[in-house]
Amino acid sequence: MPELLTAVRKSPPVPAELDAADVARVLAGDVSAFEGIVKRWQGPLVNMAWRYCRDRGCADEMAQEAFLRAWRGLASWRSGSNFSTWLFSIAANVYRSELKRFPAAVPLDDVPEPSAAAAQLSNFELHGQNEALRRAVLTLPHNYREPVILYYFHEMDVSRAAQTMGMPEGTVKARLARARDLLRKRFPHLNPQAAAEPLLSTGKELLR
Amino acid sequence: MKPDTQSAANYDAVDRILDAEDQIVPSSGFLASVMERVREEAIAPQPIPFPWKLAIPGMVLAAGTIGWLIYDLIRMAVAGDLQAAFEAPHLHAAQLNLLTPVTWIALALVLSLASWVFSRRLIRRSSLL
Repeated sequence: MPELLTAVRKSPPVPAELDAADVARVLAGDVSAFEGIVKRWQGPLVNMAWRYCRDRGCADEMAQEAFLRAWRGLASWRSGSNFSTWLFSIAANVYRSELKRFPAAVPLDDVPEPSAAAAQLSNFELHGQNEALRRAVLTLPHNYREPVILYYFHEMDVSRAAQTMGMPEGTVKARLARARDLLRKRFPHLNPQAAAEPLLSTGKELLR
Repeated sequence: MKPDTQSAANYDAVDRILDAEDQIVPSSGFLASVMERVREEAIAPQPIPFPWKLAIPGMVLAAGTIGWLIYDLIRMAVAGDLQAAFEAPHLHAAQLNLLTPVTWIALALVLSLASWVFSRRLIRRSSLL
């Protein structure tokens, strides 16, 4: 894992007035005011991009493109609405397009499975196992991948994930449940209950 | 974080691992890089808008011609003259003389000239020349 990773989990909430003020200044012709927006949101947008591709350079590039799209469409943001929701929707659209351009390299069935139960693993192995699961998310079919990414990015808030995707909450919940089933079947050692059940079918077969 | 779609009992290892993702810090030059591209876009000239004012009369004329053609075809079909309409026209000798290759070449040159003049006028109006 790169040394740039930190243990900091949550960033402090951003006052909505700051964004509204910066947007007003940008729309009035002050380009430098956009810097405030980038400073405040670069962390979340880069982290969101990281979850979509799990590649440092790719995350930076995708986040940069998301900021540019936001810049171009700044006039379309309505000051009464939530700036972060608007920004995350733009970012999700950009990242989704990128994902479609570069399909997952490894199918879900080919993701290495840990050989022992979590309780028997060393810290190093445990870390590898966790990372394998996170990478397995990227191998899910498009329909299931994004709900998982955004649900956990938004700290397990279905409503915010649905808003970001512009999708009904019910659809997100259904896709999320299916995606988690696929992951649990693929990593039975993580879930003792699932491990007891036979792995009847592969991820692709489950989708039929 | 407590999940809002499932009970705490269902908060299993998959949730725990995916929820406990570490954060990455944007690269040091990220902000500068974004602002550089934003400034480039800000000073770039606006894209040339499509000349609707000039195009609309042409479009109306074209639509009118097509409409008139369709109307005429339907009228002839109803009258039973459709086959006659598609038959080779009987031109007089004087008309045939006009349609010599030289005439066609001259017509093509005039059209090219008109198109070139028209495009230059359009560019001048956009203040690019």
